[in-house]
Amino acid sequence: MTTEEFIRDLCAAAGEDTEGVFLRGRREGWLEAEDELFATRSIARKNIARILHMYLLKVKKKPDLKNIDPAHELKDLYDCRICANHVAQIYCRGIMHARNLMRDGQFLWFDLEGESDDNEASEFIRRTLEI
Amino acid sequence: MISNRPSNIDDKRLRFDSFGKSSNEIFKDKKSRLPAMGWNSWNAFGSGNTEELTKAMAKKIKDLGLDKLGYKYVVLDDGCYRPERVEGRLQPDEVKFPSGFRSLADYIHSLDLKFGMYNDIGTKLCSGAEVGIYGYEKVDCEDYIRWDIDFIKVDNCYYMWDNATFADPTNAKYSYAPNIRGIAIDGEFKSAVKDAKITGTRAEIKDDYVTFIGTFDGTAPDHTPVGIRSSELIFEIESDKDRETDITVSYATGEEEGVGQWLQVAVGDEIFFDDMLPVTDSVTAFTDSAPIKISLKKGKNSIRIMNHRRQENTLHSYAEIKNELINAGGDKDIVFSICEWGKTQPQDWGHKVGDSWRILNDITFQVGADGDHGTAAWESDYTTSITSQYNKAVIMDEFAGPDKGWNDPDMLVIGMDGINETMNRSHMAMWCMLNSPLMLGMDLRRVEAGDFIHTLISDKDLIALDQDILGVQAKRIFTTYKCDAPDKEYIRNNKRIDVLAKPLADGSIALGFFNLDKAERNDNISISVDDIIAGIGHRMADSESFLKADSYTVRDLISKEEYNSTDRRFGIGNIAACDCKVYRITPAS
Repeated sequence: MTTEEFIRDLCAAAGEDTEGVFLRGRREGWLEAEDELFATRSIARKNIARILHMYLLKVKKKPDLKNIDPAHELKDLYDCRICANHVAQIYCRGIMHARNLMRDGQFLWFDLEGESDDNEASEFIRRTLEI
Repeated sequence: MISNRPSNIDDKRLRFDSFGKSSNEIFKDKKSRLPAMGWNSWNAFGSGNTEELTKAMAKKIKDLGLDKLGYKYVVLDDGCYRPERVEGRLQPDEVKFPSGFRSLADYIHSLDLKFGMYNDIGTKLCSGAEVGIYGYEKVDCEDYIRWDIDFIKVDNCYYMWDNATFADPTNAKYSYAPNIRGIAIDGEFKSAVKDAKITGTRAEIKDDYVTFIGTFDGTAPDHTPVGIRSSELIFEIESDKDRETDITVSYATGEEEGVGQWLQVAVGDEIFFDDMLPVTDSVTAFTDSAPIKISLKKGKNSIRIMNHRRQENTLHSYAEIKNELINAGGDKDIVFSICEWGKTQPQDWGHKVGDSWRILNDITFQVGADGDHGTAAWESDYTTSITSQYNKAVIMDEFAGPDKGWNDPDMLVIGMDGINETMNRSHMAMWCMLNSPLMLGMDLRRVEAGDFIHTLISDKDLIALDQDILGVQAKRIFTTYKCDAPDKEYIRNNKRIDVLAKPLADGSIALGFFNLDKAERNDNISISVDDIIAGIGHRMADSESFLKADSYTVRDLISKEEYNSTDRRFGIGNIAACDCKVYRITPAS
């Protein structure tokens, strides 16, 4: 799924106009210039987390969770100093889950650079809009 | 412009062996200066900072009179650029900064403040914007001069030659030497395990080879910054005359933290090999290198098997930027803030190029946004708390000074959620005792003249400690935690009280008692004049007068009470959770 497709799906699910969404989203503070500039690139999970977190904050006016301790079980949380809070907020709210590399559940990671398929992305959007 | 391998380092002044030499060895005009003070956009707004918000912050600095206290620099952090170059040049994000950077700089300068910007030694910024300075040092520095910057913060994401944040993890191949089983010289095999000496504490013996030849990754709070941080493998070889000979190295390569592919071979301080070795099948599939020609002197020779490129490459990258700023701007005064998060032990080399160097990863990742204060913490297992940063900075005093630069435990988190007034007060006092840069990180629009935050960040007594012209960072002279060397030991258990002493230019000292514990403590702690002299006497402006004084003027910098004392001991009986007592003690007459 590309960044553009993800943003359009989010808008469609939220009942928002997709026309001019990039500029509107940047002005409202939930999209970045890179989302428009690199719109046709596949969207990484860290960017899904960023967009959904900022959408919650700026559009739905949902303040951040103060306690992000549950996200500390993600081994790669601090691999990304810029997106750590985006990932933590979305993870702690149960919108996106960890990926487990070991059967015993001892190595949970978010997979920042990984991708999610269309069904997963739709589910993330649905959970976001339910909050 | 983008190379596929680290640059050759022909300048010996950028080499590990020169790290201890004078701070202005490379840049003759490197200025002696006090820690920078100002405001940085990151903790307040993250990537969401804008021209409008920045102007509002600058105006509020003036309105609150913070500029008169020294808060001069207004610094744009990550998130301000268009995420792709236009014809090879940086551009502002046109939605966030519609008037452009020069216009914003002019506005900030019109308020008699100073303007700072941000970039990264890698190919991208930490935000992912594809405008890192790597390969564009010259044009970017020309633009920074054109935009009239007074300050630059340079980050370390997506760095080509280390496994830094977002960088290719296999870049570790540049950061560590291969595993080494031994060398062959004059037809004789010398075992790395049996015949060599390991320096430092990084390398270790595994089976019949030595691994982790390099330096620690200091990004996380796992390793002390004190002592020899880099390991080498040393073979002592006797020679009966000056001569040239060949050695071969038995090695196995990897591309992970601890095992790399880049090898340096030196005899004494002369480097004979500094390059990648051919890849082996695995980290334990040893093979012999091609012959490496070395020169031996008559007598004892130290053949050094090493890789200091993790530090040297990073220094080289920062020096290149500094060089281009000078080429473009001449003697324009620009504060250079190194932000590689302590990864490559910048306390060793930062003084040669920078005015400060971050010592760890960020103090918080829960940064704010317009309308959200963000969240900070008093303690955490990682770097993301006041005490995490303090615990490392407090043993780094010997690395800092006006002629060197400053340890940077990151921006102030005063005003963020998650910390109470007591924690905020101790945080400010700690940063001032530690001579940290004082970069505010809050939305200043919420600060009103005379409120708690304004009073705290305007505290002239505390700021005077940070900006004292003697420029000596406080030393920990006592801690209730059991240890042999309070000034050197890296202590991460916060159930303790620390006592810090700081010499000041007028002959007085500051004495700080910090309760790191989240519970009240009732330890009776008493520090004598002799204890103070023993701890910091060698760095005091006038230790003799302090020692021989009959009485002292004691000013409590927190309560603002002042009294005279003939007692030669200073102490506390109990102290609230996370609280501090800081005294300025001046010998009478």
